[in-house]
Amino acid sequence: MPVSELKKSDASVPDNGRVVRHRLIDRIYHWVMAAAVFALMGTAFMPIFGIKFEWLTIHWVAGVVLAFCVLIHIVRAVIWQDRMSMVIDRTDFANGAKIVKRSFGQKVPSPIKAGKYNGLQKLYHLGVAFFMLAIIGTGLAMLSKIDTPFWKRNPYWLGDSDWGTIYTIHGFGAMFMVSMVMIHVYFALRPDEWHLTRSMFRGWMSGKEYKAHHDPARWPASDSK
Amino acid sequence: MELFRYSRSIYGGDGTLIGASWDLFGWFVAAAAAFIVVHAALKAFSGNSNLDSH
Repeated sequence: MPVSELKKSDASVPDNGRVVRHRLIDRIYHWVMAAAVFALMGTAFMPIFGIKFEWLTIHWVAGVVLAFCVLIHIVRAVIWQDRMSMVIDRTDFANGAKIVKRSFGQKVPSPIKAGKYNGLQKLYHLGVAFFMLAIIGTGLAMLSKIDTPFWKRNPYWLGDSDWGTIYTIHGFGAMFMVSMVMIHVYFALRPDEWHLTRSMFRGWMSGKEYKAHHDPARWPASDSK
Repeated sequence: MELFRYSRSIYGGDGTLIGASWDLFGWFVAAAAAFIVVHAALKAFSGNSNLDSH
């Protein structure tokens, strides 16, 4: 049984114990979202770069799946999860300053260990959330321009210049997401981040990994949701 | 390098905005690649001790 469910003292998590980091529903969300994002990027950019195929149906279906996943994630995060674990706080700013100073050779105390997420993870999430919502919002508007089994298209809903703005936001957001996905995969593949990558597959990290990378005061193991 | 794509006007004037320029795609890829290279180099030189991760 995971240590977090045993309600043991957070500081005394045994090295070989388990601390729940991502529950099954969150892992399913992550991997469905990942599949949808790769499908969306492939169907968006491959035709642009000359690989022609019937991309539109795959693209809009993947987009609807992504929008649905994000909606569930938002509801779950707001109601059932610890929202503050993803909010950049004063300690994150102080840690950032320490990291910069240490990078330039200054002798300053070590950064305080991370909570459930560290400062850069929170910053990454903020950026992805902003652009993802922009892409989804504009993508949902674009659905009005195509026929689907559920509705008939109405391309005259907005004027040409409005559609231009919507396509521009969608396009810049999509290219930004390519950058973000590259960076995300890079970190997931780094050996010093494998404890996080593993936890997105099996849901937990070991007590040893928890104590090495996280501050129990900022992320109590018994609070894992 | 163009930032935006415009429709071509049959009257010779400026067309309507139709989206972001796909010429920028390479720049977004290059920016991410540059970040990765710089981060990996800093991590390697700093002994993995003082750089936060995403």
